[in-house]
Amino acid sequence: MIAQLNSISLYVICGSIVAFVAAVCIVFMVRAYKAGIAIGMDPAKLKRTLTSSVTFSVLPSIGILLGVIALSGSLGTPWPWLRLSVIGALHYETQVAQAAAEQVGLHTLSAAEMTPQAFATIALLMSVCIMWGMILSFFFNKGYLKKLGGQKKEKTDSKPGFGDMAMTAMFIGLVSTYIGSYIGGFVSGEGLFTFKGDLTPVIVALVSGLFMSGFIYLAEKKNMVWLESFSIAGSMLAGMIAAILL
Amino acid sequence: MDKNTYLEQYDRTTHVLGRAASLITLVMLVGAPFLIGFLLGALPDLSAAVKGFLSVGIIWTVSSVVEFLVYTPMLGAGGGYLAFITGNLINMKIPCAMNAREIAGTQAGTPENEIISTLSIAASSLTTITVLAVGVLLLVPLQPILQSEALQPGFANVVPALFGAMAYQYFRRNIRLAVVPLTIMTLLFILVPSLISQTSLLILPSGAIAIGLAYLSWRKKGAES
Repeated sequence: MIAQLNSISLYVICGSIVAFVAAVCIVFMVRAYKAGIAIGMDPAKLKRTLTSSVTFSVLPSIGILLGVIALSGSLGTPWPWLRLSVIGALHYETQVAQAAAEQVGLHTLSAAEMTPQAFATIALLMSVCIMWGMILSFFFNKGYLKKLGGQKKEKTDSKPGFGDMAMTAMFIGLVSTYIGSYIGGFVSGEGLFTFKGDLTPVIVALVSGLFMSGFIYLAEKKNMVWLESFSIAGSMLAGMIAAILL
Repeated sequence: MDKNTYLEQYDRTTHVLGRAASLITLVMLVGAPFLIGFLLGALPDLSAAVKGFLSVGIIWTVSSVVEFLVYTPMLGAGGGYLAFITGNLINMKIPCAMNAREIAGTQAGTPENEIISTLSIAASSLTTITVLAVGVLLLVPLQPILQSEALQPGFANVVPALFGAMAYQYFRRNIRLAVVPLTIMTLLFILVPSLISQTSLLILPSGAIAIGLAYLSWRKKGAES
């Protein structure tokens, strides 16, 4: 079965979808770059955005590649490659694939038990469960942004700047939730206030934050602005090395 | 053509392209399992798929609605369409776009931010697509290195490493805003550790607390000025 799941025809099907999405990204990127130039944005700033986004994404992408490798043992390589290149999320795929496997009567998500129908059903469920963001975007992206833009315009007349502050606040909420979960995991992960849970994520976050402070110091105080493009990737690498050394 | 007319035209085309790309991707993603099933000689078991959807899909549907409502304003039109097509939002696209915005110094809701966000999400998605394509090509020789026992703790902690760096970047300028949600979330996870497996669902209340505090501070500043 695993040989069928790694066949050339599956690579062609999955590869075509990945290639289509890559083409969409290129079209959006070129349009945005041209628009930036047309409205007078600094080309250096646009290029720095591209560099920083590429360097930022390399390490998480290697983590995602590990997800492909992890799933390739049971689902073959082409399907996990497609799922994690397009729409998918690392934390989502395994969970849904496992749940789908249970529904089709497999004891566990494994190549040994896999049948063609089980695979097709698992693949369908993996697609359907996570497609809602795309559907909502299709129907409501324009209207939702227009509505928010209208509200912003009304408010701009009196007190400018809350929209931007709200986005920063939302992100602070997001980061706080994850940092809180690492601390909570250590303190009560193995029983309330036992302090026997996993300390590694807390240390990793601390090391990563410490390196980030160093990068920001060098960029802001020592005029090494070019470091900004590598600050997140460098800090993450330091944090990950700390996890390996622990 | 003046700047406003140009931007209106750009925005209109972005929505047309975004919707077309979303629709085509959707059709291909849902169609692929049927095509693969046809090639393998067995179509999907639809009743099992419905049962599976009811058991896990509902949670992800709710999560998708929340993600759409929260992240679309952060990403703008182009970035929003691309991010929902390419996925990996929380662990990569959102932090990546926020980092780009921080570096470029743009403000949410402005055309400049829309452009920076689109560039950032597109570059990030292309990086992932490239890394995965190269990785799949080199899967056999790379596997022993990437899966070596020694490196596993590093890859298992990509997300804490990411949020540690982002926490410093954001908290240092907004420490008063960060203290309350951070304290509440930490206490919540300490007192109810079972919630750790539902971390992503708690982003919304935590974000709402931070936005509420930011609003109070913004109003106070407005009243003072």
